[in-house]
Amino acid sequence: MIYGPELVLGVLLATAAALYVLRRLEGIAALSAAAVVVGLAVLLWRLPLDIPVEVFGRSVWLGRAVTWEAERVTLQIGPAAVVLIVFLLIVAAISFVLARLTYQGHTFYPFGLLLLAIWTIAAMVQPLILAPFALVLAAIIAVFLIQAGKTGETRGAWRQLLFPTLAAPLFLIAGWYIEQAPLNPDDQTPLVIAGWLLIAGFVLLLQPAPLHVAVPAVAGQAPPVVAVFLWIGGQSTVLFLLQRFLVIYPWLTATIDSSAWLLWLGVFTAVLAGVLTAVQQTLGRYLGYAALYDYGVLLVAMALRGTAGLPTALWLALTRAFALLTLASAAALIRHRMESDRLSHIGGAISRLPVAVTALIVGGLALAGLPLTIQFASHWALFQLLAENDPRWVLFLILGATGVIMGTVRAGYACLGRLTGSPVEREPRLTSLLLLALVALGLVLGLYPQLLATPVAAVILPLSTLGP
Amino acid sequence: MTLADLFHQLSILIGLPAVLIAAAASATIVVARDWRFVLFAYAALSVMLALLLSQVIPTEWALLQAIVGGLIAVMFFLAARQLRWHPASGVRWQDRWPQMVSLGSFRLLAVALTAVAFFVLRDQVTLPVVDVLFRDMIFWLLLIGLLGLALHEEPLHAGLSLLVLLGGCELLLFSLVQQRLLIGLLEGGRLLLGLAIAYLMAARGLETARPAVEPSPTWNADDLRA
Repeated sequence: MIYGPELVLGVLLATAAALYVLRRLEGIAALSAAAVVVGLAVLLWRLPLDIPVEVFGRSVWLGRAVTWEAERVTLQIGPAAVVLIVFLLIVAAISFVLARLTYQGHTFYPFGLLLLAIWTIAAMVQPLILAPFALVLAAIIAVFLIQAGKTGETRGAWRQLLFPTLAAPLFLIAGWYIEQAPLNPDDQTPLVIAGWLLIAGFVLLLQPAPLHVAVPAVAGQAPPVVAVFLWIGGQSTVLFLLQRFLVIYPWLTATIDSSAWLLWLGVFTAVLAGVLTAVQQTLGRYLGYAALYDYGVLLVAMALRGTAGLPTALWLALTRAFALLTLASAAALIRHRMESDRLSHIGGAISRLPVAVTALIVGGLALAGLPLTIQFASHWALFQLLAENDPRWVLFLILGATGVIMGTVRAGYACLGRLTGSPVEREPRLTSLLLLALVALGLVLGLYPQLLATPVAAVILPLSTLGP
Repeated sequence: MTLADLFHQLSILIGLPAVLIAAAASATIVVARDWRFVLFAYAALSVMLALLLSQVIPTEWALLQAIVGGLIAVMFFLAARQLRWHPASGVRWQDRWPQMVSLGSFRLLAVALTAVAFFVLRDQVTLPVVDVLFRDMIFWLLLIGLLGLALHEEPLHAGLSLLVLLGGCELLLFSLVQQRLLIGLLEGGRLLLGLAIAYLMAARGLETARPAVEPSPTWNADDLRA
C-alpha cells in the first residue's frame, strides 16, 4: 500500500534527482518535469482521499496519513491540501514549458521539483507549527535558483532567505506557548503571547511593504519565469498556511484582529508597489513591483475572508498566476533577445519581437485589473466587496492600479521605435505561438470570467473548512 | 575519555565564563573585518553555546551545536580561501574581500551603544523557564545579531549575524522544548543555511577578489548596480 504523501514526495524527489543528472538535456528535462507534474496533478485531482484504489497495479490510499509516532509528526493530504498542491503542480508545469522556451537556465527543472516537494510538505505537515520550517528550506533551495551560478550581486537571494529564517523560530516558540495554555485554562496570557508571535511570524513570511525588499531584488536578479514561479509558489503556500492557522486556532482571530492588519498591509503594499511600478527603469523591477501590487490586492481579499473574500482571494490567486506567467515570459524573451532589460536599451523590440511585446503589455494591464483582461472580473468583485466596508480603500487600490498602468505604458512605449544596437533575432515560432495562446486565453477568460466559476466553486468548501 | 568526561573537564567554563566568551565572540563577528578572526569567533561561539546547552539538553544533543558550528566554519573557510587577497590578484589591499559598508570604528561604536542598551533593558526582559544568565545571553545574541544584520551587506558577516541570532533563538527554544526531532531539524536546517551562505559568499566575493581574471559572466550586472 502506497500512502498519499509517499506517492507525491517520492515521485517529485525521484524525478528531481533524475533530472539533475539530465539537466544539460534541457528539452528532455523540461518536458519530463512538466509531464510528471501534470500526471501527478491529474492523479491527485481524480483519486478519492478516503478509500484505497488500484493505480498501475499498486494499491494507493491518497488520504492516509504517514505518522512518526515517537515524534508526533504526521504528513497527510487533506481536501484543502489537494487544492494547493494541484494548483502548484499546474503552475509548475506551465513554468517548466515557458522556462524552456525563454532560456531560464537548466537547473530550474530539478530545483523546481525539489521546491514543489517542500511546499507540499508545508501543506501536509502536522503539527502545523512545523510548516514554516519547510518554508525556510524552500528559501534555502531558492538561493541556488536565484543566483544560478552568477557572480557579483547577491542581494535578491539573500533577502528572500532572510525573512523566512527570522520567522521560523517565532512559530516554534509560539508552539510552546500554545501547549502551555491548557495547563491553566483561566490564564489567557500564553495564548495572547502566542498570538502576537504568530502574527509577527506571518508578517515576516508574507513580506508585505515595507518588508517587500526581496521582491524587487529577486526580480532584478533572477530569470523572470523562475522569479514568478518562486513568488506564486511561496506566496500561495504562506496564504494557505495563514488560512489553516486561522481556522485551526480560532482564538487567534479573537486575540488579534487579523482582518484589520491584513487590510492595512495589503492596501499599503498595493499603493506603494503601484506607485513604484510607474517609475522603474528596468523590465525586471517593473515586473517585480507590478507583481507586488497584485499581491497587495490578494492580501486585501484575504483580509475579507469573513465575508465573500475567500472565493475572491482564490479567484485572484488563479488569475494572477496566469497574468504573471504571461508577463514574465514576455519579459524573459525581450531581456534575452535585446541583451538588456533597461527600458532605455530595448527600443525597437516591437519590430523583432511583436508577440512578446504584446504579451508584455497584456500581462501588465491584466495585473492592473483593466477591463477585457483576465484579472478584471476578480479585481472588480473585490472592489465591490471592499466598497461595502469602506469606499476609501477602493480609491487607494485604484491609485495603485494607475501606477501599474503607467508602468506598463512606459514599458510598452520603450519597445517602440527603431533598433539602434546590434541585429536582434526574431522570436522563435513556438514561443510566439505559446505567448499568443496565453494572451488569447487571457482575453477569453477576461470576456467570460464565469468559465472559472466551476473550479473556484469546487475548491472553496475544503479551503473554508480546513481541517487538520 | 567519554563525552560526559569531556564536558565535566570543561565544566569550569560552563556558566558566566561561557557567556562572557560567547558575548565577546559575537561582538567580534560584527566588528572585525578579517575573515580569519570572524570565523574563529564563530567557532568559539558555537563551542560556548554547546557548553551552555549541555545544561538544558542531553550532552550528546548539545554537542551537535558545536559540530554543526564547526562544519559551517569549515565551509566558510573553504569559500573564504578562494577569495583571500593575494598580491598577484591585481586587487588593491584596501579593496580586498570582504568589503565593508561601514568603518570599523563605527561598528565598534554601534556595538558599544548596543551594550549600553543591553544593560539598560535587560531587567525588563522576561523569558519563560530560563534563568537570568541564559536570559542575558539570549537577549545579547538577539541584539547583536540584529545589529549585524543591519550593519552588513557582505554575505560572510550578514550570514554569521543571522546565525548568531539563530543561536540565541535556539538557546531559548531548547530550554523550552527538549525534543529530539526539533533539535535535529534545527541543526540540519542551520547546516543547510550555512551552505547557502557559503555559496553566496563565494558568488559575491569572486567578483571583488579576481576582477581581472574572472569578470562576471552576467550581461546585466551593470544594470543591476544601477
